[in-house]
Amino acid sequence: MVRYWRQAEETGKHLLLAALALLSLVPIIWMLSISLRSEEYVFSGHLVWTGPIDWDGYVRALVDIPFFRWFGNSLRIGVLQTAGQLFVGVCAAFAFAYYRFPGRDALFLFVLMTMMIPLQVTLVPTYLIVNQMDALNTFTGVIVPHLASGYVIFLLRQSFLGIPRELAEAATIDGCGPIRTMWTVYVRLSGTMLWTLGVITFLANFNEFNWPLLVLTDPGKMPLPLAFQYFRSETQMDWGATMAVAGLSMLPVLLLYLFAQRHIIDGFAQSGLK
Amino acid sequence: MRTRDRSACLLLRAFYYGHGGDFRLRLWTRKSRGKLLVPLLFLAPALALYAVFFVYPFVFTFLLSFQQWDMINPEKTFVGWDNYSQLMKDDVFWMSLRNTFLYMLMTMPISIAIGLGLALLIESLRGGRAFYRFIFYLPVVSSIAVIAIIWTLMYDDQHGIVNELLAAIGIDGPNWLSQTSSSLWAVAIVGIWKSFGYEMLLFTSGLKAIDRGIYEAASIDGAGRLRKFVHVTLPLLSPITLFIFIMGIISSFQNFALIKIMTGGGPNNSSNVLVYELYQEAFQFFSVGKAAAISILLFLIVMTITLVQLKVSRHTVHYQ
Repeated sequence: MVRYWRQAEETGKHLLLAALALLSLVPIIWMLSISLRSEEYVFSGHLVWTGPIDWDGYVRALVDIPFFRWFGNSLRIGVLQTAGQLFVGVCAAFAFAYYRFPGRDALFLFVLMTMMIPLQVTLVPTYLIVNQMDALNTFTGVIVPHLASGYVIFLLRQSFLGIPRELAEAATIDGCGPIRTMWTVYVRLSGTMLWTLGVITFLANFNEFNWPLLVLTDPGKMPLPLAFQYFRSETQMDWGATMAVAGLSMLPVLLLYLFAQRHIIDGFAQSGLK
Repeated sequence: MRTRDRSACLLLRAFYYGHGGDFRLRLWTRKSRGKLLVPLLFLAPALALYAVFFVYPFVFTFLLSFQQWDMINPEKTFVGWDNYSQLMKDDVFWMSLRNTFLYMLMTMPISIAIGLGLALLIESLRGGRAFYRFIFYLPVVSSIAVIAIIWTLMYDDQHGIVNELLAAIGIDGPNWLSQTSSSLWAVAIVGIWKSFGYEMLLFTSGLKAIDRGIYEAASIDGAGRLRKFVHVTLPLLSPITLFIFIMGIISSFQNFALIKIMTGGGPNNSSNVLVYELYQEAFQFFSVGKAAAISILLFLIVMTITLVQLKVSRHTVHYQ
């Protein structure tokens, strides 16, 4: 009797979650649906339509629009910025986790504080500095200002603190210099965290909108989200093609997410962030 | 003794004892200079970046808020408190301020409640947990610009699906993005949709960190499900809840892309928020001094809220 009740409860939960999941996916399903419709059915407004499946939107999206160029731009920004942030983050986290020096805790508090200040507070002067560096409308201007990421430093330090000091001390006794110690002990042993952080940071950088919006004015250099928005406001793209571009824009991210979701979600769920 | 001499004495004393009871300035002996140098070298890239792209801009913004400048003319005029007093008299500013707070109140409680509910529900399942988490986190990883455009079409009164779905259950939906009464809600709904997955994940990690044994002990003591939730789960989740609240409020203040793409400040500034007004003042009206003043005010507001939260947390948050 109890067993049946438990089974019913479990099923009930699944039904509820499935319904919520479906609801939550409506925008994405709808986007796909519009992208596959031919012109006359686009505004029939329903979730499903009666016409044929029309791949024309995707054809127009890939042919008329420099989609791959934009994708390449996003990729470039994503990869370079992520690599840079990880490098700066690993070095800083190593310094915070392994060494003891005066001012260490104060500096770390400073790093934490930088996470709390809204981007927009330092927006204008950062823009002016990038301008002075003659880096407006370049990838350098997009990437460099955000290379120091408090989020990355914080999480890496937490992860590094979990590695026993004895290992690093043993490495030093065996004659490793600081760089070697950092690499062989801390970096090598933080595989999971680095992967997880790498994927999360990459996704955020790939999708970044606010900062590239200000820095990049040349449509040829724009990353996907920015270019997409720019194109929509400049031309009156038909909705079928618009949604096709939207879908294609999301595809790489979704694939990466699908591939790496175990890392992200398990990393999050098991880290016991306190 | 004069106050200055007294403070100097205190400092010397602290220094003396802090250095293990002698006055050798350890900081400067050969051995500990080495101790300081290496970690600083590792910190150098981060510190240099912070100095250039954070500290300097921050100070610059502060100083700029007292000046008037259009970014083109190299001449900057000092205007004292003018920018601030202009803002105080500006209706748009007060509207943006109000909307920013409203937006925060609209999105935070709902998305946290949904996140917590989903986290609990999914955690209690026996199978398929990864699948549901994957689906619910999907909106979070989607590109915000793309999402904004999709939702803009969804909200369309004639062709969009939102009002159609609402009509199917008998509700007459407003013209979401074009009415002053609903524009902020329209953006808030997208904001909630985009962030509840993140909160769900954070709550999940918090739930997983709770020792099962505590629940068993509570059961032995005769606690039912509701009691267990209120007296075990919630208190033990409080550290992560605090983190979620702080980061959530800060990021709701930073919400820009949705407004820029979906409403452009909304009909009659009904969806204008502080950060969007900042953007307008700086990059559309070229009155950078005013934008800087808005930045500083924004900073002060966020800092105050965060400090208040931290203070309240002393009494409400339980650390194991």
